[in-house]
Amino acid sequence: MFIGVRRRWVGVAGATALVVALTGCGLGTSPKKNEPTATSISVWFPGTNKTEIDLVTKTIVPAFEKDTGSKVAVTFVDWTDLSPKLNAAFAAGTAPDVFGHGPAAVADFVVNDRVEPLTRYVASLSKTDAEDLGTALPGGQVKGTQYLIPLSMQGNLIAYRADLFTAAGLDPNTPLPTWESVLEAAKKLTKRDGSGKVTRAGLLLPSHPIGLQQTFATLLGSAGGEQITTDGTKAAFDSPAGEQALKYLVDVYSGPNAVADNLGADYLDAPAAQQPILTGDAAMEVQTPNNIQQMLLAKPGLQLRLLQPPKFANARSGAALGGAGPGLMINKDSKAKSLAWKFISYLISAKTSATYTEGIGALPMRASAANTDYVKTSPVLTAFVQAAGEFRPNPNVPGWTRIRDTLAKHLDQAMHRQVDPATALKQAASEVNAILAAGK
Amino acid sequence: MNRRTVVNRRSPGSVVALAIATLLVVSPFLWMISLAFTPEKDAFGSVGLVPAHPTLDNFVTAFVDAHLGRALVNSTIITLVAVLTNCVAAVAAGYAFALLPFPGSRPLFYLLISTAAVPVSVTLIPLFLMAKGFPLAGGNDVLGAGGSGLLDSLGGVVLPYLVLPLNVFLARQFFSTSDISLAEAARIDGAGEWVIFRRIYLPVARPLVAVTAIFSFTAVWDDFLWPLVVTTSPQVQTVQLAIARFESSGNVRYGPLMASAVLVTLPVLAVFLFNQRSFISGLTDGSVKG
Amino acid sequence: MATSTATVPRPAAAHREQQPTVRYSRPRRRWVGLAFVAPAALYLVAFQLLPVLYGLALSFTEYSPLSRSGPRPVGLANYTRLLSNADFGKALLVTGRYVLQVLPATVVIALLLAVLANRGFRGIGLARSALYVPHIVSLTAVSMVWLWLYSQHGLVNQVFDSVGLPGQGWLLGEGSALNAVSAMRVWKALGSNMVLLLAGLQVIPAARYEAARVDGAGPWQCFRHITLPGLRPMLTYVVAMDIIFLAQGFAEIFVLTRGGPLATTTTVNYLIWTEAFQYNQFGTASAMAFVLFAFIVGFSFLAIRGLAGRRS
Repeated sequence: MFIGVRRRWVGVAGATALVVALTGCGLGTSPKKNEPTATSISVWFPGTNKTEIDLVTKTIVPAFEKDTGSKVAVTFVDWTDLSPKLNAAFAAGTAPDVFGHGPAAVADFVVNDRVEPLTRYVASLSKTDAEDLGTALPGGQVKGTQYLIPLSMQGNLIAYRADLFTAAGLDPNTPLPTWESVLEAAKKLTKRDGSGKVTRAGLLLPSHPIGLQQTFATLLGSAGGEQITTDGTKAAFDSPAGEQALKYLVDVYSGPNAVADNLGADYLDAPAAQQPILTGDAAMEVQTPNNIQQMLLAKPGLQLRLLQPPKFANARSGAALGGAGPGLMINKDSKAKSLAWKFISYLISAKTSATYTEGIGALPMRASAANTDYVKTSPVLTAFVQAAGEFRPNPNVPGWTRIRDTLAKHLDQAMHRQVDPATALKQAASEVNAILAAGK
Repeated sequence: MNRRTVVNRRSPGSVVALAIATLLVVSPFLWMISLAFTPEKDAFGSVGLVPAHPTLDNFVTAFVDAHLGRALVNSTIITLVAVLTNCVAAVAAGYAFALLPFPGSRPLFYLLISTAAVPVSVTLIPLFLMAKGFPLAGGNDVLGAGGSGLLDSLGGVVLPYLVLPLNVFLARQFFSTSDISLAEAARIDGAGEWVIFRRIYLPVARPLVAVTAIFSFTAVWDDFLWPLVVTTSPQVQTVQLAIARFESSGNVRYGPLMASAVLVTLPVLAVFLFNQRSFISGLTDGSVKG
Repeated sequence: MATSTATVPRPAAAHREQQPTVRYSRPRRRWVGLAFVAPAALYLVAFQLLPVLYGLALSFTEYSPLSRSGPRPVGLANYTRLLSNADFGKALLVTGRYVLQVLPATVVIALLLAVLANRGFRGIGLARSALYVPHIVSLTAVSMVWLWLYSQHGLVNQVFDSVGLPGQGWLLGEGSALNAVSAMRVWKALGSNMVLLLAGLQVIPAARYEAARVDGAGPWQCFRHITLPGLRPMLTYVVAMDIIFLAQGFAEIFVLTRGGPLATTTTVNYLIWTEAFQYNQFGTASAMAFVLFAFIVGFSFLAIRGLAGRRS
């Protein structure tokens, strides 16, 4: 008989012990007790890119371990998968010394007192380093305090097909400095079938939920507007600049003069060979550096060029969405903070950082990277690095992911012409203000 | 409903219908296989099923970059354990819920299977806490304190799958059609309940055991979220975590992704192919003769 | 339960009184089922029920796993807030429609396939395995193929084009997105349903078909009066299992539409996921989960009641 009485008792004992264990450690959040002398750190890396993994495990970690006589245990998690893992680990007090995430998540770690302020450490950087990292670091700050050290930069530019420009009677060498001029060109580049349906988009802007918020942020910035007030207490997109930006976006996708189709499609995540601008389904589209490089590999000879970020004609200043990408933070309960910082500073050192960003096909985060071969030999990266000064990150406020999604929801309704742009922004602003108030 | 399908078992019409349905159902998988042999830059570049420049590189990459070999070993171990425990404990429990009711067995049954209706987002963290507080594992004392418990171990990975509630439900449904007069007769002859289960009911439950094995195998083999949360070191990665290596956001590597996904499907298919023989018993034996 | 007399303290076992050959003492006989159930039950109570109860407790609190202070009790606030949450209401409707349109399609097609595949010719094992493939293949990997199938120049639009029908953005239209996701889900769920129904077909005694045929029953009569009643317990299981899984539909939505367009594919479980892992609000997420739980249990109960017949 396989269910003996003894076995049952063992089971009961086990279950009881588990109940005790669950109630005992379930709600507690006591930090883990480490050995006093820290000779090892655990790191959860925000990314599963091959080059990233190879670089970290084969070069950086061995060199670092040899240098410091320490042990580094690295786990690679794509940053979209990090939240469940970190939530569970923080709840159980087993979070690693160093962990990565996207900038959008930082403020929530900060309000919960989970991450170490890094201002003191950043101050220890040499003057050259500090200046070199000047554009990257603000994306990892919350209310002026550094919490996240970005490992790469992000930013999008409008890519266009020179051959399609020529065929449409446009000069591919004439710059398009304003969104108005971009739209005029797009109208000439758009093709329709007999029923008026767009068969070739003159201009594609990301319009899937998160993309929509990012596109709006870029347009808003280039109209001189802000998403959130600088003190982080109120929505600021419910403004004339916001309306101008959203009206532009709506006009791109709908109405008789629409220059784009497939509203809601996430073309940014599509395979290179399927990118609308590669297949000829679009003449201009907003793109990431990595995608553009992949497209050029997939179809050598593709006549892609890049526009510098346009502004609205009436705007005095302008900015595009971009800036810090995913990066690393230090767990406030870590018993090995100085070792953790050593590891991070090793990663962002000029040489390592250059190899890293080149490997993942991202924008380098050091200004001096403009002089590396990776950038100099690539017209694509040169264009992106040139635009780096125009990139502004999303605001780092608590509840940002919810704010982002709320904004996207209302933008989506305006895009589908369920409400007019002004109403959509007003409704979004009232919901966002409530979230900001709750996050205080 | 095709009137011929039920009785005329070798009618060409139904074979053709089955063949067409099979082809339709399997076609997305055929594209995955095709992509597994397609160089990265050509991925999704054409509608054709046969790659223009076929390559084996993606398979090499799958093994080298994602350590698929080790992941296959890990997944095999935890899966086999879960298959075994499910085939024994879930089947026995379902049998008793169907044929050996005891006071309170119905409410207990519904209470246990209803846990399957709670989304994993909610149970993930408590389960994680329990894995960490597992007594006498990973440096823990008898009260589950002091160490890391089952975190980052194969034991921790297999923890939520040892008995899947729906397998208990399945077994109960299966046995609920059984002929109870056999058991009554055996009891009168003085047979113990365990003997009755082993000698009378288990032998005719081969399809049930086969399905339980297949389902447990699939459920454990395919899960992503729990292994993601509970493991950290590369030594205990499962196959789905290995595949995720190629899904880096904004940087998906289609070739190696498809190659590893296809490779990882094969063991489950083998298990299925082996077990599905259990479905060629009762009805077919009789009908082929007739 | 058995008839009892006032003099026998344990009435349920009274009818066994005259059976001297029964080895067990009476109370033991009555509880013998528990011994079979115990290992599974103890495990399930510890590792399924306990986490569920923990989640239930959290639903009455405000809790971020990142917070240092732990859960803060808020009474019924999470639930009352849901009453006025339009997004949640809409998600319930989407989930309901999703279950109601995927369930019949996948069960009927699976039943058809099971009957077709329940025979013994050469290659049948391969055919069955092929039909089971969708259930086992990595969802994220195969979703790339489905995204492509549904894309502007994907296979679906090409097929439409070749027969002269207009193509469309399947996953982008408010009217078509949930249907497109449903089609993929039907495809994914077919294999497991078919396998279960195949297993169910095995226990129907072949003799019943022989007897019916001797009586001159046609194939439809055989299906209607032998196959369907014989399959009833398994059909009940299939329907209940499908309701439980479909009502928790998340992964296919996550990979295909991310809940869009205009939240037409935002299921309750998608909201729960977002609430828990994007916004770190486990209290709200748990409350949503238990409202969903109530619906699942209700619908499953109705389905089980509706399908459960008398024992044959």
